[in-house]
Amino acid sequence: MSQHHVAHHDAHHGGHHAHWDTSVWPAVISIGILAWSLAFSFHFVYHQSFAGLITFGLGLPLILAGIAGWTSEAMGKGEGLSFGAMGWFILAEAMIFMSFFAYYWFMRLNSPAWPPAGTPELPVVYPLVMTAVLVGSSITIHAAEHQMDLGNKSGFLTWLVVTIVLGLTFLGMSVYEWTHLIHGGFTIATNSFGTTFYSITGLHGSHVVVGLAIFLAGLLPALRGNISHGFWRTASLYWHFVDVIWFFVVSQVYFW
Amino acid sequence: MDKILKRLAVTSVAAAAAGGAMAAAGGAERVFDPAPGWDYLWKEVLIDISVIGILFALMTAYLIWRYRRTPDNVVGSGPRLSPAAAVGWVVIPTFVFMADDFFIAANGWALWNKYRDVPADRLEIQLESGMYSWDYTYPNGVQTQNELIVPAGKPILLRMTSRDTLHSHFIPDFRVKEDSMPGRVTYIWFLPKEAGKEHLVTCAEYCGVMHSYMAGRVVVKTPEEFKAWYETSGASAKKSS
Amino acid sequence: MNLKEWIFTTDHKRVGVLYLIGSIAAFIVAGIMALLMRAELSTVGPTITSNPTTYNVWLYAHGAVMILGFQIPALTGFFANYCIPLMIGAKDVAFPRVNALSVWLFYVGIILALLTFFIPDPPDIMWTGYPPYSTITTGNTALYTFTVLILGFASIIGGVNFLTTITYMRAPGLTWNKLNIFVWCTLGAFVLQLIFVPVLGTAVTLISMDKYLGTHFFDPTRGGDVLTYQNLFWFYSHPAVYVIFLPFFGVLFEIVATFAKNQVFNYKAVVYAGIGGIVLLAGEVWVHHLYVSGMVDWIRVGQMVTTLLISVPVGLMLIGLVGTLYKGSITFETPMLYALGVLFLFLIGGLTGIPLAVASLTLHLSDTYYVVGHFHYVMAVAGTFSIFAGVYYWFPKVTGRMYNEFWGKVGFWITFVGTNIVFWTMMDIGVKGMPRRYYDYAHFSQFEGAHQLMTIGAVILGVGFAIALINWIVGAAKGQPAGDNPWGSMSLEWTTVSPPPHGNWPTPPSVSEEWTPYAYGKR
Ligand code: HEM
Ligand SMILES: [Cu+2]
Ligand SMILES: [Cu+2]
Repeated sequence: MSQHHVAHHDAHHGGHHAHWDTSVWPAVISIGILAWSLAFSFHFVYHQSFAGLITFGLGLPLILAGIAGWTSEAMGKGEGLSFGAMGWFILAEAMIFMSFFAYYWFMRLNSPAWPPAGTPELPVVYPLVMTAVLVGSSITIHAAEHQMDLGNKSGFLTWLVVTIVLGLTFLGMSVYEWTHLIHGGFTIATNSFGTTFYSITGLHGSHVVVGLAIFLAGLLPALRGNISHGFWRTASLYWHFVDVIWFFVVSQVYFW
Repeated sequence: MDKILKRLAVTSVAAAAAGGAMAAAGGAERVFDPAPGWDYLWKEVLIDISVIGILFALMTAYLIWRYRRTPDNVVGSGPRLSPAAAVGWVVIPTFVFMADDFFIAANGWALWNKYRDVPADRLEIQLESGMYSWDYTYPNGVQTQNELIVPAGKPILLRMTSRDTLHSHFIPDFRVKEDSMPGRVTYIWFLPKEAGKEHLVTCAEYCGVMHSYMAGRVVVKTPEEFKAWYETSGASAKKSS
Repeated sequence: MNLKEWIFTTDHKRVGVLYLIGSIAAFIVAGIMALLMRAELSTVGPTITSNPTTYNVWLYAHGAVMILGFQIPALTGFFANYCIPLMIGAKDVAFPRVNALSVWLFYVGIILALLTFFIPDPPDIMWTGYPPYSTITTGNTALYTFTVLILGFASIIGGVNFLTTITYMRAPGLTWNKLNIFVWCTLGAFVLQLIFVPVLGTAVTLISMDKYLGTHFFDPTRGGDVLTYQNLFWFYSHPAVYVIFLPFFGVLFEIVATFAKNQVFNYKAVVYAGIGGIVLLAGEVWVHHLYVSGMVDWIRVGQMVTTLLISVPVGLMLIGLVGTLYKGSITFETPMLYALGVLFLFLIGGLTGIPLAVASLTLHLSDTYYVVGHFHYVMAVAGTFSIFAGVYYWFPKVTGRMYNEFWGKVGFWITFVGTNIVFWTMMDIGVKGMPRRYYDYAHFSQFEGAHQLMTIGAVILGVGFAIALINWIVGAAKGQPAGDNPWGSMSLEWTTVSPPPHGNWPTPPSVSEEWTPYAYGKR
């Protein structure tokens, strides 16, 4: 914003009208979220699935357009503060996981018998492989960042793509494991362990999805040669967080 | 205040008498009744906070009046505290507050233990609460609804659970309540003293539409009356089951 | 005026004003609910509705909207948005678009909350939403969940935004120890929001999952546990009272320092021991809401001690506030009247909280009108008075105009009287056993007179608030021009024009070595 505007304002109290920054995208996203909230009520509370579908369908394009519009409006214009902000945001995210774990511990330590009836044996090796894949992706995104700092664009892109592939592999493995268990008759509604198992792994999985979405959103500009250091440092911080949380998930849910 | 003191005196005499009677009857332990203890602690804390409140309010009022703007007092001249004074103004109030906190906490804890330690010589009754009734089951299988019939002078222990939502068995006269809920068992105990009296039981945890109508009563009988009622209804309970 | 530049604004001041408008609207709606409840309670038995659910929905809406739609957004939305960038000499916040997103989400949250009055089967689960009732009621629990989630998300991104802003965007020379107390308080409040809102969000999500998606978090027959919800809920909602308390005390500090023309008494003690202490203790006291819920005994006794210890940092802040009067030069304009009023109301509210910290005393007091009276004094009324004080105080800055001083004072005195009638009486009948959340008090009919007194008090209170609201509307439309710094404050927000332009200052300010926002003696 130019000095000119302010000086102009200063010349007179309020009355004169100069330009004030605006953006429609926050509003667009918010209306989309409102539509989705209504969709949930229509479908699950009032059992009016058609109305639910319509409101959901209205919300989806609004949210997608909002995110796309926002990204293109703001990309590269940040003040380089997003890294610090991500730190605070991660604190909040960590607390969501903490709440689920606190629930899980409290319930489990208070329960007379564990596990509750209907819980199958969980695999041992499979989650270890998943862990290796996710840790690997943390290493590769670090390598990508390193190449970025060295100014090596193609090196950066290579490592980034490897990271994305590893992330997708992890997701695929989760999906496979879920379907496997569900076919075996163990679902989120089986008992309180099923409830915690699926909600904690699901919550973590959703964070993997968000992390990958951030990578993909940045990948397109990056392929065009627009590599924003602030963006990638922030995205990679988030990805490391998703990785660290997985250690908690795997140790608490699979091996305790 | 006066009334509280008087009530305290009366109840402690009554408790002593009851205790004496029981000791004579079967060498039972002396029972501490938490309800008058509650009144005593409440009074103590009330005096404590009133003194603090009045002192603080008077001082604030004085400062407001004393340092109002006058022609020769047009800008504040609050002190710049030396490091020692600044620390002193933290440390000293902290100790004063903490002293009061620990005093209250200690008394609160002592009373708490009395509320939670149930005398061994007691009548134990199961309570299942539900929308919207209190259902009591006595050791011999007698069941009552919304009416808890108890003998005077005997500690009553309620083991509580719920078949639906949360409820809270509140007996204002005995200064006690605790939630009941599905999946857990909680307890309260109290000491009914005067035979012939009735005490309101009311629900203190929002449990649904008719929450405010969920009430019952504690009916205190003499030990003999209670025994007679307990045995006849016990027999009919057996027959019907 | 260009409407589009208001609705889609990313400017922190306009976002702030949007927050103010929304939260005042929420206050009016929730206040009407309070009056309806008071009308219903004016006689034993059905009075204005014969359906208990109707009353329960009013009570739900009153509690949820007052806290989530009025106080938290007014304090951490309006005041924080409007004042923080101005107080730290910044052009705007770190992420203006994110800021716009939070205010928009806030409006979405309010719309959802207000839908309560238009949908079939509205939520009737109280603002606490305890299961199992919330998972078996025919009311719409999902509406509650989504309201809380969306408002919660709005305040999380708001918190991230402001913490980043305060950390990185202070004017040159504005060191940490020169920040306004209000900025410090808000910083503490946002740290609490970031840590604790996610827990609330999780808790309310779990009840809707249990109710609508078939999970068993709180179903003991499948290994779940009812009590967990209450722990998660209060793990947030106790700190939430500090999210309200800290900013409103910050507002009081600004006002008292300005109208006493005095520096804050023992600034560092207030900031590090007071605010810091509260932030540190906030997460260790939630069980005082669960004293009669069936928790294990040792944690009840342990948290009795931590709860009592809260009196230390709170007491230190109060000493700082009252100490600021010492050797001041005090004048009594409307904002100051409200602020001084809060000193007394907060004193009553704070001290009556001490019995509620004592686990054994709560065996009788918990869930009675004593609790309702106490928290209205300490939070509802003290908080609302502070919000009113703050709106009066920054009114000339926001609008460039002056409100009517005479009606301001009249409004204050009427409200002050009404408040004490209503909430003192509540505590009185509470000690005598009147339980809360009662649509009808048929078996407590001895309290009918007291209930009638409270209904009259509530009407008085309503009149007082209405006078203030009308005063603002009239003042904003045709008050006298106020000038840039009518109160003669030292704080940075008063160094720019009223109302400030986009970007706040023509050239970004920087501050000198000896300047502080309270350096009055040294002019
Ligand atoms: C303006 C005057 C106000 C009046 C006359 C009033 C009155 C009441 C009444 C009658 C109740 C219901 C008590 C019961 O049935 O148990 C209540 C509950 C409540 N009020 Fe207010 N209130 C006022 C302002 C506020 C404010 C400003 C707040 C802001 C935080 C607030 C927060 C609450 C909460 C949280 C509850 C508890 C809701 C629940 O039990 O779930 N009130 N109020
Ligand atoms: Cu109830
Ligand atoms: Cu609390």
